[in-house]
Amino acid sequence: MPSGNSHPLDQYLRTARLPHIWCPGCGIGIALGGVIRAIDKRIKEGVLKKENVVFVTGIGCSARTSFYVNFDAAHTLHGRAIAFATGAKLAKPELEVIVIGGDGDIAGIGGNHLLHAAKRNMDLIVLMITNFVYAMTGGQVAPTTPLGLYTTTTPHGNPEPPLNVVKVVSSLNANYVARASVTHPLLVEQYMYKALGMRGFRFIEILSTCPEVFGRHIGVRDPLTLYNSLRSKVIIKQSPSIDESDLDWEKGLVIGEYLIRDNPSFLDRIKGGSK
Amino acid sequence: MVIELPAHVLTDTRLVSASSTRFRVNIITSRCKECGICIGICPTKVLVKGSKHNEYGFRYPTPANIEKCIGCKLCEYNCPEFAIFVEVLGK
Repeated sequence: MPSGNSHPLDQYLRTARLPHIWCPGCGIGIALGGVIRAIDKRIKEGVLKKENVVFVTGIGCSARTSFYVNFDAAHTLHGRAIAFATGAKLAKPELEVIVIGGDGDIAGIGGNHLLHAAKRNMDLIVLMITNFVYAMTGGQVAPTTPLGLYTTTTPHGNPEPPLNVVKVVSSLNANYVARASVTHPLLVEQYMYKALGMRGFRFIEILSTCPEVFGRHIGVRDPLTLYNSLRSKVIIKQSPSIDESDLDWEKGLVIGEYLIRDNPSFLDRIKGGSK
Repeated sequence: MVIELPAHVLTDTRLVSASSTRFRVNIITSRCKECGICIGICPTKVLVKGSKHNEYGFRYPTPANIEKCIGCKLCEYNCPEFAIFVEVLGK
């Protein structure tokens, strides 16, 4: 169906629900496009079956992705997407379970589940779409808000240093840790493609734009201006060290593949002892 | 009573296409939300801001300078709305 007059990704989307709910210029659509292109490549290679892909999401803007993809999907409690996905994967190990959430959902409300899934090296792909605020509830400060930025609840600038989720997950037993950005959609596709061919806990943070809430408070309301300002802050490195991964709005945000390992995953351990 | 619509309100143009000898740029107008990322991201300024509205009131872009298209597909990859796709017609 790629040729003719339909979008090449239409076969993986519930087109009757489009246009989607996200605001004009929201980066989640770009991130979702990159993720679906990577899944499409793996399906065409024969590595992955379309009926085995499961999207599990929590609550938030990025959790609405499960409404628009034409795969099996679950929309679960706030922050509990990883817990739900762990159950789905253990009940049916042939599934490829993909968890998508925002920074508030995965790192804030569901932070404990993230730690424990990474500690177990659970066979999941977790995508955290970081827009630096709790956008759906009105722009409150999130764990990942960089120091000094204005949000609805920090009118004098954020006094807290941000939580560096890449560093936290790297310190645990994860197999793949990367950070991408919606301003470089081909990298989103490339990292997701790589993660789909691995085992164990795979974590990708995707920096995103939120012109409607985040941009309004920092004074960049126009989607294209915010997109270009995020693009100018992003620094691409081939193999960055984890010490460079701090979220610093002034010095720049380093993206790249932080960690690649091939440790035995949780399913390997419970199936075949300690391989 | 029949309400006369002004001329800039489109009737039915779900797909706006333009093609050069090598590439065709298609815009699914009903999905566009006028964020302007495609217009800003295009390296050769193929897409320009349109004057017609879709059924939700957003002015979708038009591939006016299609002869300049180099087929990089940056507009397709960077459209958050899955509204643009580029086809390669021939070498």
